[in-house]
Amino acid sequence: MNDLSTDQRRIQSIQATRPWNRQANMNDTTRKSFAPAAFGTPNSSRRIRANRNCQGITRRDSITLGLGGLISGGLSGALQATTASAASGKLASLPREADACILIWMDGGPSHYETFDPKPDAPAEIRGEFSAISTQTPGMHFSQLMTKLAAISDDLAIVRSIRHDQGNHGAGNHYMMTGAPPRIPVGCGAFVSFHPSLGSVISKEVGAPEGIPAYFSMPNMSRSGGPNFLGARHAPFVVPDDPNSSSFRVRDVTLPNGLSEGRFDSRQAIRSEVDRMLRITNEAAGDPALAADEFFSQGLQLISSAEAQAAFDLHSEPGPVRNAYGRHPLGQRALLARRLVSAGVPFVTLYHGGWDHHTDLFNAFESKVPPFEATIAALIEDLKQQGMLERTLVIALGEFGRTPKINDRGGRDHWSNAMSVMFAGGGTPGGQVIGATDRQGYAAIERVLSPENFVSTVYRKLGIDPGQMMYTPDGRPVHLVSDANPINELMS
Amino acid sequence: MPNLLRTCVKLILGISLCAAGSAVADGVDRVSFELDVQPVLSAHGCNSGPCHGKQRGQNGFQLSLLGFDSDFDFAALTQDARGRRLFPSSPEQSLLLRKAIGAEPHGGGRRFEIDSPAYLTLLRWIEQGAARSLANEPTLEVVTLEATNFSLQPNGGAGLKTVASYSDGSKRDVTAMTTYLSNDDAVVSVNADGQVTAGELPGESTIMARYMNHICVANVVIPRQDPLDPNLFDQLPRDNYIDDLVYEKLQKQNIEPSEAISESTYLRRVHQDLIGRLPSAAEAKQFLDSDAPDKRERLVDSLLNRREYADHWSGYWADLLRPNPYRVGIKAVLNYDNWIRQQFRENVSYDQFVRQLVTAKGSTWHNGAATLFRDRRSPDEITTMVSQLFLGIRLECAKCHHHPFERYSQNDFYQFAAYFARVGRKGTGLSPPISGGEEIVLTTDSGTVKHPLTGQVLNPTPLYQASHMVDEADPRQSLANWLTSTENEFFAKVQVNRLWSTLMGRGLVEPVDDLRSTNPATNPQLMDALAQDFKDSGFNQKHLLRTIVLSRVYAHSSIPTPSNVTDRVNYSRHYRHRVRAELLLDAIADVTETSANMQAMPPESRANQVWTTRVDSIFLDTFGRPNENQDPPCERTPDSTMTQSLHLMNSRELDKRIRSDEGRAARLANKEGALTSNITDELYLAAFSRYPDDQERSYANGLIEQSDSKRTAIEDLIWAMINAPEFSIQD
Repeated sequence: MNDLSTDQRRIQSIQATRPWNRQANMNDTTRKSFAPAAFGTPNSSRRIRANRNCQGITRRDSITLGLGGLISGGLSGALQATTASAASGKLASLPREADACILIWMDGGPSHYETFDPKPDAPAEIRGEFSAISTQTPGMHFSQLMTKLAAISDDLAIVRSIRHDQGNHGAGNHYMMTGAPPRIPVGCGAFVSFHPSLGSVISKEVGAPEGIPAYFSMPNMSRSGGPNFLGARHAPFVVPDDPNSSSFRVRDVTLPNGLSEGRFDSRQAIRSEVDRMLRITNEAAGDPALAADEFFSQGLQLISSAEAQAAFDLHSEPGPVRNAYGRHPLGQRALLARRLVSAGVPFVTLYHGGWDHHTDLFNAFESKVPPFEATIAALIEDLKQQGMLERTLVIALGEFGRTPKINDRGGRDHWSNAMSVMFAGGGTPGGQVIGATDRQGYAAIERVLSPENFVSTVYRKLGIDPGQMMYTPDGRPVHLVSDANPINELMS
Repeated sequence: MPNLLRTCVKLILGISLCAAGSAVADGVDRVSFELDVQPVLSAHGCNSGPCHGKQRGQNGFQLSLLGFDSDFDFAALTQDARGRRLFPSSPEQSLLLRKAIGAEPHGGGRRFEIDSPAYLTLLRWIEQGAARSLANEPTLEVVTLEATNFSLQPNGGAGLKTVASYSDGSKRDVTAMTTYLSNDDAVVSVNADGQVTAGELPGESTIMARYMNHICVANVVIPRQDPLDPNLFDQLPRDNYIDDLVYEKLQKQNIEPSEAISESTYLRRVHQDLIGRLPSAAEAKQFLDSDAPDKRERLVDSLLNRREYADHWSGYWADLLRPNPYRVGIKAVLNYDNWIRQQFRENVSYDQFVRQLVTAKGSTWHNGAATLFRDRRSPDEITTMVSQLFLGIRLECAKCHHHPFERYSQNDFYQFAAYFARVGRKGTGLSPPISGGEEIVLTTDSGTVKHPLTGQVLNPTPLYQASHMVDEADPRQSLANWLTSTENEFFAKVQVNRLWSTLMGRGLVEPVDDLRSTNPATNPQLMDALAQDFKDSGFNQKHLLRTIVLSRVYAHSSIPTPSNVTDRVNYSRHYRHRVRAELLLDAIADVTETSANMQAMPPESRANQVWTTRVDSIFLDTFGRPNENQDPPCERTPDSTMTQSLHLMNSRELDKRIRSDEGRAARLANKEGALTSNITDELYLAAFSRYPDDQERSYANGLIEQSDSKRTAIEDLIWAMINAPEFSIQD
């Protein structure tokens, strides 16, 4: 009879008694352990009740393992340890097709006509100025500017039939980033959050090697990319700086500019002299200084681990690779994303603004698309060369598509009846188009899919059950996704 | 009725196996839907929140949450889905039973075994024709626990016994059909059969027992076993009623309180708590060097009169009230914030503060309080907020279904919401994301609230103590009278609990705004006394804060005694906690003598003056601030996170400030003729509010003197201090 409020109070009591364990995902594990209990399947709940995962490692142990991994086995060792410890509860039974996801958010809502769903046979006022081009894949056509992506189309799956009914930025962003429609009407530019976003859920369920934030968002978070009830631990780690700058460093996980390692070391020495606060070692006392110590020493490990630091060091990439990605902020962010993923970060959002083309769409696309699509193509090719594409999901999308009829100002307006979403890697069968819009691109008509299906696909790829029940801090059960069916064509 | 004969035979065979049965007619136990069937559904979790009890049900089958609506559940079983859930001609083929025993695929798995008592109850009910009710069926009147107070040894156990009493005078043991929940599983756990097990450590918890829509509470205490010196509590100095009431409880539990803190710890603690900033080095020096016997009283009085008091305390209310600027408009948010700060600058009494909010009228451009009604536009939206903020009653649940832990029904909810039925608006409504227009909030002559299911128009009715209601022309005035009345048992309590929690690190009730019989205060006498004191003072917050910080209990050390190390609820020691984000950022400003450069704020602004989270701050986001863009706005959590440690350690901005040419390190290093030991003293006083001890002084002096660069050494010392737990954790 473990009801939701037991869950809640249990969490509170654990928080009350052992605050040091909060960051260490203890309450997450507890929550997980209670979700099946609330369903009433006693076996599954008992299994991890004592905060143990399937391998019988407690989370506190696994922190130690993670650190050990960083010292002796390198990052990959630490990564394995975390991956093992994160695989708990019923999640363990779901196969994971991808270890990470890079989500390229095209803020504003890119036109489906001028990207992945050209309509060459439609009348001119719908067809627009661009023509359709063939791709590497027979029968698959992109709009004319997408040349580099066309050349690697065998690695891409394009879904042309996701649709919804939220035609403004605030609501559309929320729906696509969380899989939940906004609960109350949301204004166009609004930043709202009613449900945890993809990145936050993946941060909670998959996690990253100790010390590295699990959810990066660059250069800012998307409108609804926040953690909602999952709490600050799963908020995106925002890196606002321009990685194309010669002085770029990833904030906080590397030493600040101008501070030498020697000086950092001497600061550590001074700190250990200055730090005289008595620790209350009995864990039952709940001394927050113990948690602070743990995080501080993990932070030190992160700074002193050559391998971890290498992951953040964009400057060590050879010039040709950096050039291939494009010497502009998005290009270098994509490259950084690849490095972060190889260091074990499971979710990275690359936020790319300016896709809201109400006016002068075609001129804007002429300059905007070529460097953009070159970056995406370079990212996918590089992941492939590094042997990472199989386990890394790359997605590009915006809030919605654009209106069929070109308006008086040469632009297209918001249109959520149709949109195209690009998938690559992470076990996605490439060279395919899923679903279709009608002949003029008005609406998805074949294999009509929802944002819920989209989000469920990403969760399933990362081994997360989209049908699972989550609990808000006040104990209310919430489905992770209300329609947990993934897009099967995208699954391996 | 072709199967009548077979049914009868089965019935007779079934009797002996069946535990439950209510009406006896024709020598046969008749199964009642309300008294037998619904308890089975509750006891096996069928109507629980994650399963069929949730809104829209599970896979098309919906029951009322926890069985609060019998008619609904009866219809769901017998009529919905074209009645296919029951199969009267072959009862054991009923989907209801086949799913429950796992014979058909069932998302919830097997709930009970074939031929178990639960199974037979449902089977017999179907066999008997699945009636909604029986002739002369009694009603469930009272549910009681046989014993409600338990004192257990560590690892000891006890059994709860739950008894249901019916209108016909009969009683039933429903122990096995009752749901039990412990408020603190780590201290005392309870299983589905009502078996209570004490944990290893001394402590206390409350256990809720729920049988149908009746709720009872049992209190379990695991006292410490080792007795203390019997004279201990007689010898403890006491300054006010708080000390008496806390020590009374500690004495009962054999817990020895921690020692009193030093002057420097008191100084730091009381500065952080009352005005949200650290004492300056000079202020610290002055206080520590003073011999005045009443220096604490004088300090407290002066702090309560400082201008920082208003900014600090406004922040707590802003957390609770601040709406989403993308929704209500930035100007309305600014006006609202100004209004809140003004109330604290003027030390407006708490009842006045609430009254002004609840009855707010006028332009959102002139009366900031009116923004409340620009943000919360429908009576139900405002109701949940008002009940939680000002009564500590979480009514959100009752909006859609009967409250699972409380007496409140949907009817109660909408009757209360009816107080806001006549809130009117004119001017420019919401037009997100700018919403820049001016809106006027007013009281109209008409407007009603209806029950969402029955459509009945409801009269404004308070949640309890309706006799204290005086009707006025404006229903919101009537509500404000009732809310702020000294007779209202919850109004003062929830606020004193908030204040107590802020100062003491834990509320008497947690969560602080969740007051209910199933979540009692850890020290009810203290809660009552604080609430009474608050009322007697005319709801004067400064009076209450003064009383608390001048108690002995407030000045307990955080260092445990052998008997109180595990105490987390009785205030036998100070509970350490990380200070809030704004306080920490302002402390860094004070220690480095540089200010954070914030958007939409005048230069030199402090973090606790920030009036919207649209003011970007990686620091504040990292250390946590409620995000009003979230619904519900997530509460401020005292979580420590990895990113916090990394930010203090490596943030480029912080490093720049520590090393700034305009900062403290540069100033001290460039000061002609400054004595090294004065520099060291200043650093310790500014960062830690205390003098260094001899060892610390000689280390820091040596560092500064022997370094190639005095300034570098001072900078590094400041960095080290900011990164030490002593800086960010309140001791």
